[in-house]
Amino acid sequence: MAKVRPKKHPPTIDMTAMTDVAFLLLTFFIMTATFKSQEAAEIDTPSSISAIKVPDDNIMMISIGNKGEVFFGVDAQPDRVRMLDNIAETKGLSFTEAQKKKFSNQASFGFPLSQLKGWLDLPAPEMGTIKQPGIPTDSTGVSELADWVYAARKANPQLRIAIKGDNSAKFPTFKNVLANLQSQNINRFNLITDSEEPPAGWRSDN
Amino acid sequence: MAEIVESSGGKNKGDGKVRAKKLSTRVDMTPMVDLGFLLITFFMLATTLSKPTSMTLTVPDKQEDTDIQETEPLKASKVLTVFLGRNDDVFVLDGIASNDDKAKEELQKVRFGTELRDAIFKAQKRVNSQFEKDEEGNLPFVVVIKPTEVSTYKNVVDILDEMAITKTKRYAMVDFLSDSEKELLGDRVKPQPGDQ
Repeated sequence: MAKVRPKKHPPTIDMTAMTDVAFLLLTFFIMTATFKSQEAAEIDTPSSISAIKVPDDNIMMISIGNKGEVFFGVDAQPDRVRMLDNIAETKGLSFTEAQKKKFSNQASFGFPLSQLKGWLDLPAPEMGTIKQPGIPTDSTGVSELADWVYAARKANPQLRIAIKGDNSAKFPTFKNVLANLQSQNINRFNLITDSEEPPAGWRSDN
Repeated sequence: MAEIVESSGGKNKGDGKVRAKKLSTRVDMTPMVDLGFLLITFFMLATTLSKPTSMTLTVPDKQEDTDIQETEPLKASKVLTVFLGRNDDVFVLDGIASNDDKAKEELQKVRFGTELRDAIFKAQKRVNSQFEKDEEGNLPFVVVIKPTEVSTYKNVVDILDEMAITKTKRYAMVDFLSDSEKELLGDRVKPQPGDQ
């Protein structure tokens, strides 16, 4: 009579521990997250053994794309608006509030001044997809990069300059960028690179 | 999967007493874990963990003043000249000037990496053993880096990095080629139609 029947429960696994781990990791990633910002172009930087970290704020970034296009961006949004105001003033342009708002949302841009307004008038989703020609930097011809750098420094004098170049960008573009900066008496830059292990046995002097 | 274990019916064992069902307090965690891992995945993909590093480059001030400082010309024998060419080629000229007769034979083509590093170390050793330190205690070895039109930004960063690795404190980046250098390098540094 007394048949011992095994209880019919599906095998269960206690998920509590797994939840703990999952949320621990989640918390870690949320705390350490610094989001990738929307860049005007994908830039593949060379690597160096330098151990100096790029500062988090007060940065103006000049990016050189692989076809030699030059992009420019400032990290703080209020600075972006002030920079746009400054350049509008010196170049005799005017931007609407909507254009300024859109401009402040762009981490970097690469348009000659003449095409900038047209770009800012586009609906926001389209702005990311359009191909950007780059800021003119030709040291002998038209160069607007120096003007942008000036406008940015006027907006926030604390800004430091970082140059982020693509592996396959040609040297003359870099030279033009340097010439633009030197025309503003800026002689010290940070070149942004990936980190790389120094060769075995190498030790820093300091 | 999802179950809140509860005793099923048929428990009223004949004695007529209606017992309150005993509800288990176990909560199934699976959806929560799912959600947790989903968010982890999102944050992992959206973050940049390896922060980029930066190397500092300081270039000399442009000398626009007319009273250009008189400096002693560099002795060619103290200098390693590094030309950056096409396709990551590097040409090194150790200790002689480009207008020297022997320059053509001495011009060495090396690749980035150990070859270049060895060349730099060799020149560094030679110069530093031959010459005294200057009055300010600097080592006499000087590297002149000449990026050409066909070199890339990567080459520039790599050679600057190589300076850091070989601990060469004195180097100069010069972005024009003299006539004799142009002649020496010839087609190797001229832009070709095939280049972008």
